Amino acid sequence: MTETHIGPGPARRFGSRLRILAIGRNPKTTLIRAAVLAAVCLAVFKWVLLPVRVQGISMAPTYADHSVNFVNRLAYRWHGPRRGDVVGIRTTPPDGWSAPHIMYFKRIIGLPGESISFVDGRVLVNGQTLEEPYEKGPCDWNAAPVTLGPDEYFFVGDNRSMPKEQHFFGKAERNRIVGKALW
Amino acid sequence: MVKWLRLLLLVIVVALGAWAWVALHPSPERLIRRQLEGVARAASFGPGQGYLAKLAGAQRLADFFSTNIEVHIDVPGHQGHTLAGREEIQQAALASRASVQSLTVTFPDVTVIVDSDQESAVADLTLQARVSGEQEMVVQEMKATLRKINGQWLIVKVETVRTLR
Repeated sequence: MTETHIGPGPARRFGSRLRILAIGRNPKTTLIRAAVLAAVCLAVFKWVLLPVRVQGISMAPTYADHSVNFVNRLAYRWHGPRRGDVVGIRTTPPDGWSAPHIMYFKRIIGLPGESISFVDGRVLVNGQTLEEPYEKGPCDWNAAPVTLGPDEYFFVGDNRSMPKEQHFFGKAERNRIVGKALW
Repeated sequence: MVKWLRLLLLVIVVALGAWAWVALHPSPERLIRRQLEGVARAASFGPGQGYLAKLAGAQRLADFFSTNIEVHIDVPGHQGHTLAGREEIQQAALASRASVQSLTVTFPDVTVIVDSDQESAVADLTLQARVSGEQEMVVQEMKATLRKINGQWLIVKVETVRTLR
């Protein structure tokens, strides 16, 4: 007399593998992992990497209207903002660690203590022309020198072909900087 | 087991009690935030409103301000402008309803600082406005001063703030 072991059929094996793939070998552990992952994602995207949608053309062509980016709030934890960085600037005074819903997206061209001016579309930092490879369009802006305080930075968008009057730019304090654009 | 259930029940009762207390006795900051939400709602309007609806909307908006309200508007590219008194606010609201089809106003970021006397407060806020037909939305930092008048928080002064100077 021979005994034949009859295992689960191919359809049943496939169903079992699919179940493992979807909910793991131990559904309880999977549930805990999913909850932890959701909590981590929520915390990261609420307080550290803020998702932003660019609105407007003031940062064109570097960032197109409606493009998506992230603002890294930890970027300046170990060093200060640098010239050329694109940053998010809050439109209300800082309120603890809470993240703003709306911010300006601009490039830093002036650092504390410097004097910034526009002459025939060129940016002068302490009287020296600033090389700006990101600025592509024609520009004819002129603006008198602005001297920055010990805690002030100068911000401007990359699209200088638009009229100066329609472009928000100028100086603000360090604590207005929310973080640096991720890319 | 019964002990844990009782403890859980106690925690739930305490949490409900705390929630009820906060809901029934809102802090001045909460009241001011509610008031500002009301301003945003009253300032917004949809298309196709009749004259009476426009008038009522403008009146509703004006009710959030004190009679001696002062509004200072100074934005780049435009000449500075000042509105004084509730009447002028109402007229400006009516004019905006006549000149654009629809307007959606929100205050997404609000910071409220209440004075120690609990009678006056300053709210720093970001105004976000979408006008029908306009591709770009309006974003403007503002500062509002509020005072408790006859038990109600009314706006006594509004001014635009230049985020980038």
